[in-house]
Amino acid sequence: MKFWEIGKRNLKEIYRNPVLLGFLVGMPVAFMLVFCAAAGGGQAGPIAMSIADEDRSQNSSAFIQYLGSVDAIDLNEPIYSEESQAQDDLENGSISLYLLIPSGFGEATRTQQAINLELVYKAADPMIGLQLKPIIEAVGSEFLGVAPPLNVELKGTESKIKNMAVNFYFPGIAVYGLMILISTAAGIIAGDREKGFLARMFTTPARPWDFILGYSLPFIPVVIVSTLIYLGVGMAMGLTIVGNLGHAFLLFFLIGLCSIGIGMIVGSLVKSESQTGVSWIFIVPMAMISGAWFTVERMPSAIKSVAGALPFIHAIDASRAVLNGSSFSAIILDLYWLIGWAVVLFAVGIVLFRRTMVS
Amino acid sequence: MNAVQTFKLTKKFNGLVAVNGVDLEINKGELFSLLGPNGAGKTTTIRMLCCLLKPTKGTASVLGYDVVKAPFAVKKRIGVSPQDTILSERLNCWENLALIGRVHGLSSDEVARRSKELLETMGLMERAKDQVRKFSGGMKRRLSIAMALVSDPQVLFLDEPTLGLDPQARRAIWEYIAELKGKKTILLTTHYMEEADFLSDRIGIIDEGRVVALGTSQELKTNLFEMRSMVVSTENLTAEVIADLQSKYSRLEKVKGRLKIYHKDLDFKGIVDYLHSRGVTVYSAALEQPTLEDVFIQITGKKLRD
Repeated sequence: MKFWEIGKRNLKEIYRNPVLLGFLVGMPVAFMLVFCAAAGGGQAGPIAMSIADEDRSQNSSAFIQYLGSVDAIDLNEPIYSEESQAQDDLENGSISLYLLIPSGFGEATRTQQAINLELVYKAADPMIGLQLKPIIEAVGSEFLGVAPPLNVELKGTESKIKNMAVNFYFPGIAVYGLMILISTAAGIIAGDREKGFLARMFTTPARPWDFILGYSLPFIPVVIVSTLIYLGVGMAMGLTIVGNLGHAFLLFFLIGLCSIGIGMIVGSLVKSESQTGVSWIFIVPMAMISGAWFTVERMPSAIKSVAGALPFIHAIDASRAVLNGSSFSAIILDLYWLIGWAVVLFAVGIVLFRRTMVS
Repeated sequence: MNAVQTFKLTKKFNGLVAVNGVDLEINKGELFSLLGPNGAGKTTTIRMLCCLLKPTKGTASVLGYDVVKAPFAVKKRIGVSPQDTILSERLNCWENLALIGRVHGLSSDEVARRSKELLETMGLMERAKDQVRKFSGGMKRRLSIAMALVSDPQVLFLDEPTLGLDPQARRAIWEYIAELKGKKTILLTTHYMEEADFLSDRIGIIDEGRVVALGTSQELKTNLFEMRSMVVSTENLTAEVIADLQSKYSRLEKVKGRLKIYHKDLDFKGIVDYLHSRGVTVYSAALEQPTLEDVFIQITGKKLRD
């Protein structure tokens, strides 16, 4: 249990360092307060939305009526029967967005096929569309019992969401906050290398995995506490948890592990604490293309492919879905992806660390 | 079997030869010092023996285990006190010792027992519960040596154990190390000749990556240092007299107002008579034993602190 001894040492070094501890605990609080405040804080008014119903079926009418009952949505009149009419009004500025219910909607609901709804909004004001998208997905899933348009099976009711902006931003902000552990974890290793402490430890019989586990362990409580802080502050600022809180916690925990794993890799590669700054070259772009702050839907397919291969987008999408009411089965693939990444990252960290033990 | 053995041990860094074909044989229980100036290759040699650096050429073994092929077997049996006093600064003495002891596989009880002994021996018991970042350099150095000893290693590597300490702290550490003589095999590096002289069973003088002389302190002084030296305290010493002495004798130094003259066949009386004849007042004159520094200067042509 050499790793346990190394882990205990690192934990003591962290919690006895007030500056580092303050950063690790204070950062999630400050982060959530700023972003949630920016997102509107407590209650927000409904978003005005128009509808173009090309299906004109009994089911589509029922769906529109259902949407009209959602507090977060203020349905505009009239309901367009042709999309071209809605496009004209969007272009001349009389409406800010519309939801297109395509022909075949009623048939698809009967045959339980996936349905693609289009939310069309002005390019100059994408945020309103971004805010509405998860609501419509949730309400649509609740109404239809299937998962349009992203195959997200929702059971909760979007109408329970007090502040959709907070519910949209929260997962991305929390995951981004946990990504900061990349540089923190890397910094601890790099600092010990710079000071020569690692070299001293390398003269002991501890193995590479003892070091990787020993340097990772102290961050487990940090991930747990950070996630609790994110959730607590998020809820205080208007986050509504429609789905299973435990599932959301599990997702955040796994992305925290992935971040620590990346931190171990960065820490194994750099020679000094100051060099861990390079990890930000990775953190910020990854957060951007993973949908931490913006939806990835309108990004180029190549970027989406890169983001999809990485763990962060899976954590953000899955936690967003869980918070909005998705079941465990809807996020199982994302969970596998995150677990796989965590295993790979730690294995790579151990291999790289082994190389640094002898120069 | 030797405790430490190297054969043509060589380390190059980007073409720069730091250690150049070092052959060493250190017996079990021996205290062996590598004496040399900064940059001579002492620390690089130790780092190779501790499995931190891979030799470019040559081999090295500790207690029969090859440092490249069986590094973990070597690491189980050694204790290391690095040149820089590297401790876990926010841990106290007990915790620092426990970390190293437990990583070496000692039980909690054994670590506690060994730690208590070492803290008492090193005079650190009173401050044992304080975080070590508050310690003086001497206290940190003593703890560093205790950490090297906590696993009860068979071979101890002490890299510049008194570097940067005041004379009193240095003397205290010498005494601790002297107590270990015969009980452990110790390889100590230093650029303090007094340290090597005081502590060592044998000394290897290292310069520019090569071991240039090897033997006991006495052997080095008597066998290698052919010159004798005398120290003269004078008044009215002129530049002309100094120039004249320089032309006649191998080496001349002015040390703290005194004149130190080196020559193979030193004519003590002849020098004093000559100085009197040139009107120089001689207050005292004495023959001196050669020091390791004298030996080093003779072999390498430079001072240890150059």
